[in-house]
Amino acid sequence: MKENRMKTMAWLIISVCFLITIFFGYQIVQKSRMETDLDKYMPQDHPAFVYSDQAEAWFNIKDGILIAVENEQGIYNSGTLQKIKDITLQLQAMPEFEAADVVSLFTADNIVGTEDGLDVRSFYREVPSSAEVLKKLQSDVETNEMVHGRLVSEKGNVALVVAALNDTAFSMEFYQKILAFAKSFEGPEKVYVAGVPVVEGTMAFLGPKDMKTMVPIVVLVIVLVLYTVMRSVRNTFSTLMVVLLSTIWTFGLLALLNIPIYAVSIMIPVMLIAIGVADGIHLYSHLDLFLMENKGATKVQAITNMLKNMWKPVMMTSVTTAIGFISLLTSEVLPIKYFGLFTAFGVMAAMVFSLFLIPSFIFVLGTKKQKTLKTKDQSHTGFGADFAVKVLKNKVLVISITVILGVFSIVGIGKVWINSSFLENFEKSSDIVQTDAFINQYFGGTSTINVILESENEGVMTKHETLQLLSEMQLNVEKVEKVGGSFSIADYIKRMNKVMHADDEDYNKIPDDDELIAQYLLLYEMSGDPENLWKVTDYDSKKANLTFQLKSDNSKELKKAIVAIEIFKPRLEELGISLNYAGSGYKALVFTGLILEGQIKSLVMSVIIIILLITLMFRKFTIGLIGSVPVVLTALLSFGLMGLLNIPLSTTTALISSIAVGIGIDYAIHFIERYKIYSQETGDKLLTTKLTMSHSGRAITFNAVVVILGFLVLLFSVFPPNRSLGALVSFNMLTSFVATVTIMYLLIYKSNIFFKKKS
Amino acid sequence: MKKSQFAALVLLAGLISLAQPVWSQMNGKQIMEAVYARPSGSDLQGDLAMTLTNKQGDERVRQLRQFITDNGSIEKTLMFFLSPADVRNTSFMSWSYADGKDDDQWIYLPALKRTKRISSDSKGDYFMGSDFTYDDLGDRHPDEDNHTLLREEKLGNYDCFVVESTTKQPGYMYSKTITWVNKDNFIGLKREFYDEAKMPLKTLYIHKFEKINGFWTILETEMVNTQKNHRTKMVFSNVKINQGIPDNKFTERSMTLGQ
Repeated sequence: MKENRMKTMAWLIISVCFLITIFFGYQIVQKSRMETDLDKYMPQDHPAFVYSDQAEAWFNIKDGILIAVENEQGIYNSGTLQKIKDITLQLQAMPEFEAADVVSLFTADNIVGTEDGLDVRSFYREVPSSAEVLKKLQSDVETNEMVHGRLVSEKGNVALVVAALNDTAFSMEFYQKILAFAKSFEGPEKVYVAGVPVVEGTMAFLGPKDMKTMVPIVVLVIVLVLYTVMRSVRNTFSTLMVVLLSTIWTFGLLALLNIPIYAVSIMIPVMLIAIGVADGIHLYSHLDLFLMENKGATKVQAITNMLKNMWKPVMMTSVTTAIGFISLLTSEVLPIKYFGLFTAFGVMAAMVFSLFLIPSFIFVLGTKKQKTLKTKDQSHTGFGADFAVKVLKNKVLVISITVILGVFSIVGIGKVWINSSFLENFEKSSDIVQTDAFINQYFGGTSTINVILESENEGVMTKHETLQLLSEMQLNVEKVEKVGGSFSIADYIKRMNKVMHADDEDYNKIPDDDELIAQYLLLYEMSGDPENLWKVTDYDSKKANLTFQLKSDNSKELKKAIVAIEIFKPRLEELGISLNYAGSGYKALVFTGLILEGQIKSLVMSVIIIILLITLMFRKFTIGLIGSVPVVLTALLSFGLMGLLNIPLSTTTALISSIAVGIGIDYAIHFIERYKIYSQETGDKLLTTKLTMSHSGRAITFNAVVVILGFLVLLFSVFPPNRSLGALVSFNMLTSFVATVTIMYLLIYKSNIFFKKKS
Repeated sequence: MKKSQFAALVLLAGLISLAQPVWSQMNGKQIMEAVYARPSGSDLQGDLAMTLTNKQGDERVRQLRQFITDNGSIEKTLMFFLSPADVRNTSFMSWSYADGKDDDQWIYLPALKRTKRISSDSKGDYFMGSDFTYDDLGDRHPDEDNHTLLREEKLGNYDCFVVESTTKQPGYMYSKTITWVNKDNFIGLKREFYDEAKMPLKTLYIHKFEKINGFWTILETEMVNTQKNHRTKMVFSNVKINQGIPDNKFTERSMTLGQ
């Protein structure tokens, strides 16, 4: 009777869970969408981004796709020049580009001075064929600093076509189209495609794509390892179901609420896999031990005992983990808020499955065959018990190692940095990195920092004092190792001054006469393309845009350039000019800083919340402190090691420390809860430790082994950020696990909690 | 070839009817020929205030005094900047030739105290950073396009022909233009320009025109570039026509004398 009712109940639970899963699965299929536009990731109302967006609009600052045409024999021949012309014209005709945003030797103004005047011409319109005209073209280019080294390499073997692109216009299809387009111009020339949109776009695409191939393998390995430790197809199946269903529910809810999947959202299944298997392992571990100790117990008895003993730690671990993730809501970055909130939802879903679905499965599928259960009682003599004793014996060693690691980590944490580089996410040997290096070898650099200067007063940017300072600043900042070039309004004035003095190099400087500067600008507007001027200054000369080119997008290199720029801030301020930054590279730098800061803030908050929650659960503050030890150690080591080894974090790997909260807390609570139960049952401290280590310690070990092996698979990923993800998850699992069964256990033992009355 | 300012005044606007009674039978080509043939004076002087507005709404105003003469084969233009102050007395002269030869252009920079020749191929298409190309300001011969009368409609208070003109020259910067021609005086009152990809590019508006010394003359016009969200307004004042400006006004020496 009772069993029949339970059976109906079990089937009902299973049906409801699967129906809801089908509903969420349908939502995913119907409504899921990826967000690859990186601007959408940034907090739109953060002052740095608001400012940068505004400045980008003022000066039409966009990232450019770079097409490099290389001819080892030199580009000054009709074939190569024809290709440069064709590439330029065909790019201009593409709907993704505005004609004025495509720049090459073909479109460039050649402003040259002659004895009696000024000549503003194209370098060529019709492709020249006579040797004489080609020679003339070559010398025109070589004597024009505004083109030489910018659009044509100094050696004359590579020419660039730069096509600035709106942020939203880039897609993988478009990239493929551009690649095919570029390839069609090959032979004998080589044609390369690079630029920030290409790198960003490919990364946004490659990460999730690689994850799609890797996650099934991770799951497969986890299945195999789960089976190896559980020795049961049913147990493996239902544990896995918890993870899969909670992932589907989470992504289904995202789709239902019409929230796009961001790049960091791929971390949600990573977290759910690592955390979700824990409940199943602990439940089954308890069930197995119960059946071992109580031969002949019925299914109903076994399930009842399991739930009675385990509902509390399963619920406590899940709630604390969820609260840990919810603390990510303090982040300023929207996708990370979603990541925190929805991982929390997934964790709660996994809890519901563990408490309802797993017992239902056990009921319907039955328990493990009794014969596979070893009859030997391991509690007093097994590996777990031995280990418990050994830790006690070597307590000095354990404590010393912990302290040493802790100290090293704290030193390391000071050195943690997050690299906003997109390029360094790719293999050194990948086409993207190679092309970028190739272009950096011949030109100023593929990355840019825009320095925006502003004054309250009209005309300040065209005053000779300002321009001379700008010119000096450009020269000085260009001395920074990776800074390869710069461009500003000062370059126009220098060029005009030189050509108006019959190309005399002595006049390649800013003149001391403000009226002359104003007249040069007027002259340029009348003879050249005035649009070019509005990329470096504005209508009333209150603002200027100074562009620095860098041969690397590494955060450290960007910061070095910024340090060199900041030196000029006081002198600019004397002229009433304020200095700010803009552009995608700078935004990425600020953005990653926000992520790191938010992550550390949320970790500190989680630890405080965890201490409070554990204190509340076990009604003792000491336990709260001890329980937080694995969490704190995992987080410390995770950041500390990265800092010490000078391995930069990335946007996604920074989030992995959240796993420290999720896992560390689970281990601690399961362990302490079990310790508490045994302490009450036995009243013997040593026996309690032995039993706890054999019971909880065993489950924790299984859990750690399963997840570590699963995530180590990611080391074989073709996408380097996913490799670091795998390594870091595994490392965090290992730290949490070792910290729980060594130092935390030792602290519990030494603190005599639960034994107060007797000792 | 670049066409001048003068032609701008005269041709964009200066469209006097040849044979008013025949309008009902006129086709597109005849209408545009009537626009082209509208008489203009042989010289003009006056002040021009040019206001440029960019997409952020920033404005720049330049004031110039200009002198134009046209003897049928050479059109000579001389302009002096009156403001802003730091470019005052900067002067610009251009001679453009009816036979299609490249324009001759000179600039005098008072801060440098030197007159320089400027040579430029068709790249310097836009007139002084404005939304007008030299072509927009010039007299495009009706034979260069195919014309179709699309419809007749009212534009404001004026009865207009609406004529579509499609270029015969491949690769020309405008694939087509659509012009609203005032039936009464053959002044083009509005013109839409379409780019090479046949997308709307710019719209020209004539805000004010008057008969001066017997010639219809445009006094206020605006070009709006809808793709760049940029606009240029030109306001002419103190316009005098056929005052007999001496030819020696248009010399390098007189450029240096200021106005």
